[in-house]
Amino acid sequence: MSQADLFAMMPLLILAGGSVLVLLAGALRPGGYLYELAGALIAAALLWSLLLPAGAVMPGLSVTPFSRFFWVFLDSIGLVALLLAAGYNRRRGITGEEYPATLLFALAGMGAACTASDLLMLFLGLEAFTFAFYILVAIKRDSVKGGEAGLKYLLNGTLSAAIMGMGMALLYAATGTLKLSGLASAANHPEALFLGGAGLVLLGMAFKLSLAPAHLWTADVYQGAPAPVTALLSTASKGASLAAMLLLLPLFGAWHGLRDLLWALALFSMLAGNFAALRQSSLKRMLAWSSVGQMGYVALALVAAPSGGLRAAVFYIVIYATAGLAAFGALSALSDRFEPDRLDDYRGLGYRCPLAGIALAVAMFSLAGIPPTAGFIGKFGVFNAALRQGETTLAIIGILAALVAVFFYLRVVVMLYMKPAGDSNQLRSPGFSEIIALAVPTAATLLLGVHPQPLLDLLAKILT
Amino acid sequence: MFTEYPLLTILILLPLAGCLALLPLWNCRVSARPVALGVGLLELALSAWLYGSWRELTPLQAKLPGYLLVEDAPWIPAFGIRYTLGLDGISLLMVLLTSFTFCIALLVSWNSIKEKTGLFLTLMLTMEAGIMGVFLALDLALFYLFWEVMLIPMFFLIGIWGHGRKIYSTIKFFLFTMFGSLLMLLAIIALQLLHAKQTGIATFGLHELLKTQLPADTQLWLFAAFFLAFAIKFPLFPLHTWLPDAHTDAPTAGSVILAGLLLKTGSYGLIRFGYPLFPLAAQTLTPLFYTLALIGIIYASLVAFAQEDMKRLIAYSSIAHMGYVAIGIAAWQPVALSGSILQMANHGITTGALFCLVGMLDERAHTREIAAFGGLWGKIPQYSFFFLFFSLASLGLPGLNNFVGEFLVLAGTMKKAPLVAALAFIGIVLTLIYTVRLVQEVIFQKERQPLALADLSPRELLILAVLATVDVWMGVHPAPLLDLIHGPVQLLTGGGL
Repeated sequence: MSQADLFAMMPLLILAGGSVLVLLAGALRPGGYLYELAGALIAAALLWSLLLPAGAVMPGLSVTPFSRFFWVFLDSIGLVALLLAAGYNRRRGITGEEYPATLLFALAGMGAACTASDLLMLFLGLEAFTFAFYILVAIKRDSVKGGEAGLKYLLNGTLSAAIMGMGMALLYAATGTLKLSGLASAANHPEALFLGGAGLVLLGMAFKLSLAPAHLWTADVYQGAPAPVTALLSTASKGASLAAMLLLLPLFGAWHGLRDLLWALALFSMLAGNFAALRQSSLKRMLAWSSVGQMGYVALALVAAPSGGLRAAVFYIVIYATAGLAAFGALSALSDRFEPDRLDDYRGLGYRCPLAGIALAVAMFSLAGIPPTAGFIGKFGVFNAALRQGETTLAIIGILAALVAVFFYLRVVVMLYMKPAGDSNQLRSPGFSEIIALAVPTAATLLLGVHPQPLLDLLAKILT
Repeated sequence: MFTEYPLLTILILLPLAGCLALLPLWNCRVSARPVALGVGLLELALSAWLYGSWRELTPLQAKLPGYLLVEDAPWIPAFGIRYTLGLDGISLLMVLLTSFTFCIALLVSWNSIKEKTGLFLTLMLTMEAGIMGVFLALDLALFYLFWEVMLIPMFFLIGIWGHGRKIYSTIKFFLFTMFGSLLMLLAIIALQLLHAKQTGIATFGLHELLKTQLPADTQLWLFAAFFLAFAIKFPLFPLHTWLPDAHTDAPTAGSVILAGLLLKTGSYGLIRFGYPLFPLAAQTLTPLFYTLALIGIIYASLVAFAQEDMKRLIAYSSIAHMGYVAIGIAAWQPVALSGSILQMANHGITTGALFCLVGMLDERAHTREIAAFGGLWGKIPQYSFFFLFFSLASLGLPGLNNFVGEFLVLAGTMKKAPLVAALAFIGIVLTLIYTVRLVQEVIFQKERQPLALADLSPRELLILAVLATVDVWMGVHPAPLLDLIHGPVQLLTGGGL
């Protein structure tokens, strides 16, 4: 590994090394400035990947503009999630160095997943951050729901890891290589073994992206995990999984059967997610189901990959992440020693806690795809690509499912602003870090809605 | 004179700037109201200036025939979306109606909005910006954006300050509108893709897309999507069910804007986009359009007759009146189309005034039941005078504005489809019946409940006097307005200037 390679890899090294550093610092000085340290480390990794353009090709990893875009994206989410967690964890008695250290480790794993150039590294990255989430989901040890969610996530996650591992083994057996570029060229004349492997890998990725029918873990895990963890899980892990999916996409172009599989995943996710979300009375569960639906639109964009769907998919995941962060951020800012979970708990909160109310309402409008929020531009891009690809049926089904979604997103807004407040307890006003963590994604959601061109240009550049 | 400034952008941005100005006054009701009204009046002054000087504005014959002002800039080049605004006679009339109606709506809600006034005024101004955008946009994607943006404030307006089953009504309103518009979004994208396939240029610009060659069956599908979106807004039978609920449960200002402006966006969209873009399909569907409009007129008039709630009655009468606008568009003939466009403005003023009147009565008596009133002529004569006046205007008394619009629509339609015009006359008789019943029961008759009612306050008198003056002016001397829309109408219906 040359010096230039090291230079390019620095953001990942900062995160991985920082994770160990935070653990050590916690052992030496318990209760020290661990969150601040972790925040500084993420910010350092973020600035490094943003400001110092460098590319490198190493065995298993290749740092490209594509991976650097995802580093910046994921580290920004990580930073916001850490800001949210700082106040939340203090209030709910989640102490210790595990949280910030695991978060850094998760970010390092995500960074590796979107930099991988062979299957092994890809698998390692994906499982590294999933592993970190097993811990984060169950980090509140005395919470029964958290424990249940952690176990469910673990069981489902290991199953998906096994499936994906098996798929990768088959791919290796068929072609004798683990390199993604070698596999992509083998995909032109695939044999049965190769197709089987690719199918299994696609199924494993469906777990990570919670595409129906591999979505069943989503609702329980989102509900059981602490809100800042759900914020990270629902945005960054989806972003990293999409990056991995994009790296794997050439493999799935091999056979129309795999494309049909993706088509079906998109269809089921859009329908199952949006219809199931209708029936939820818990806000977190509703958001979980809605994220299944949202991932359906990402899958729809991937089906339309030859017609500009890649850019639509990445743009969609970015705007989904800003909205998701704003929504779960509002949830964690509103939670005191308990989390308000039932929709009814949010009656009249828009007036009693204006910033969290606005963040949640903007997030809902964006997820529903209503202008001038970014969600509209996201849906516009997806449907533009889908129609250009000739997927008219799927586009029409998708847009009708989006209409269903409008209903349950509006229900949250109705609760926030149109129902009288349930109790008149004085609400805690959000702290400074929470104000930042709410304002940034909300502003980004609005800004990307009226001025999306710079991001679209950037995506066009990195996706060539 | 001022045309070097981006006047159309200012029309859209001025209310938004007003929202910013309201932020420091958020909790100060007394000073927030004049600021918002000031912004509304400024907007009205600007539109009035545009109207006053439209003859001096140089028409852009070379670039866009019929247009007086155009502003164009790239917005999202990645999708081919441009920020294109254009003002022709039709949109100028609508802009004038919008800024006027908002001033009325702000005045009529002066005292009745007691809670969260800052939020209310901000939403009103945001909605004004959105509606202005709808009437000015010449890029289909931009049009769609404004089309949706104007929904959000109305959703809050009904949901927060409404009465009765307000949440049910507001969600119904939002979902109905979204249903149509989402399919229209797909059609807009499909149209752009078809255009790009033919010319290689990805654009949503109306005047580029007008040149697209479309086979008849494709036209039919795309037009159906556009038609659905606009028919829901219109509203045409049987897609009208959201309207009585939304109108009835909205606060007075909301009803005025719904009736005066939001319904007009549907007819405007059909005139500006639906018919010109898909002429073949429009021709194919004309019988359906006629039928739905006629059913709407007759059905809504009969239902209006049975209403006990005054607001609901006027809401149904709105459906019936918009039926004439629909017939005029379906005829697609210069006289009828001019009548339709004029009728859009007329209906906005007259029905807006009627909603104001019912709102005033509701504020006093806290009920809108027809059966609760009676004998108002003796008790509150000024109020009763205006009630009678606008009721007569609504049923098309010659000399008042609705007569002109309805007459032109029916005269034009008579040339193209005499049967339709004849059937539509039945509607006029039915209008007479339910309006006379309303006036007779509320204003005349004997007093049924002893209600202590005060007559009009100076503010209310001002609102109604201004509305009545405009009403008479448009009824007696509609020529300037007809001149204004003459050019664009000729262009739309295929005649030369």
